Amino acid sequence: MIAFRRSSTYITPLIFFLIVVTFFPLALGPQESLLSSLAPGVIWIAALLASLLAVETIFSEDFRDGTLDDFFISLEPSFILVFAKVTIHWLITGLPILVASSIAAIILYLPLDSFIPMLLSLLLGTSFMSLLGALGAALALGKSAILSAIIVLPFSVPTLLMGTSVITSSLNNQDFSGFLMIMGAMLALGIPGLCLLTVEALLLNYE
Amino acid sequence: MIKKWLIEMGSPPLFYKWSTKILPWLFISAILILGIGLFWGLLFAPTDYKQGDVYRILYIHVPSAILGQSIFMFMAFCGFINVIWRAKISGMMLKSAAPIGVSFTLLALVTGSIWGKPTWGTWWVWDARLTSTLILFFIYAALIGLHSTIEDKTKADRAVSILSIVGLAIIPVIKKSVDWWQTLHQPSTFTITSSPSMSPDMYQPLLLCLIGFYLFFALLLTLNLRNEILERERTKNWVKQLLGGAG
Repeated sequence: MIAFRRSSTYITPLIFFLIVVTFFPLALGPQESLLSSLAPGVIWIAALLASLLAVETIFSEDFRDGTLDDFFISLEPSFILVFAKVTIHWLITGLPILVASSIAAIILYLPLDSFIPMLLSLLLGTSFMSLLGALGAALALGKSAILSAIIVLPFSVPTLLMGTSVITSSLNNQDFSGFLMIMGAMLALGIPGLCLLTVEALLLNYE
Repeated sequence: MIKKWLIEMGSPPLFYKWSTKILPWLFISAILILGIGLFWGLLFAPTDYKQGDVYRILYIHVPSAILGQSIFMFMAFCGFINVIWRAKISGMMLKSAAPIGVSFTLLALVTGSIWGKPTWGTWWVWDARLTSTLILFFIYAALIGLHSTIEDKTKADRAVSILSIVGLAIIPVIKKSVDWWQTLHQPSTFTITSSPSMSPDMYQPLLLCLIGFYLFFALLLTLNLRNEILERERTKNWVKQLLGGAG
């Protein structure tokens, strides 16, 4: 909860996200047709990178000051506590990205009809990324941040593909509910599975 | 009986002793079958009427692509055993299999693009299979990278085991999603999936090559694993005795 008091923790991913999004028109040129067709990919890549940016902080500070030790001593199942940490991480990275994505969509000329699918895909996708990121951070605890990025990125391919497919399908007036359902299924399986593996990974530091 | 054998194999010294016995047989059979398969495939199998002799790279490309995937499954299986029963040897096995797996995957990618240049006219296409093989390669790289950064070998094994389990769960999803991504974007102009059914005199050497590759993997794995065991147990008495006796 301390994270909320320091504004930098939730402002940085947001600003980072917007900067990355801004760089694409600068690099590729400002044509409206080009940008709106690239928008799904640009928004998703920026969202993935921004949610990875803060991933390393999930456990590192608690590990350093000993809060993490309490996790495994406390009477609550450590699974629940890890889930709480992931939820908080999503609140300080995923949620700001969700808000910023509307701005990104406007400056990339994404049609208004695609806003709802974009927000839905980001909602499911960034939550899954927080779960995956937690596992990466737990495995790379005390190591370089780039390591957790390398661990997490190959596994985020389905999220990236599904997320962009949702927006692209809605751009082409196609049905996108199937992609959303798969993302939801991944999230539903990921919550128990990845949280348990994260607990297992954290315990490695206490042997 | 089988259970007792499995428990015995879980002990590094006993595995080491047992593998010493089996190693020559493995060596001979791997070299023999792989040799016959490759010679047959590369020199004696009939030339393809469309692609000419270029297609012969298939005898290396296909087995290494298959091996790349099955080694990953093998690693995840070891990972399960390591996380659940904390069997030390499964962790070592996982670690020894990783470099072999990544080599085969890389070999499949390289031979694939060498094959692609004359037949498709390009080194690389964003075909579903190529893409998912590339991602498999990245996942292997992540596993090896993670292992090398953790100093305590047993902990590194466990960390990689955890990650390989996630990999096993997510690889089918990656494959499927890349397939859908393909159909959504544009159908590729050429497919490798619907290859014309092969004639048996081309197929038989391929099968032999595949078995040969598997045996070759078993051989490399055993050799790697023996080194790993010796390195990790170097302070134990049985290793000292063994090496002291040998020289």
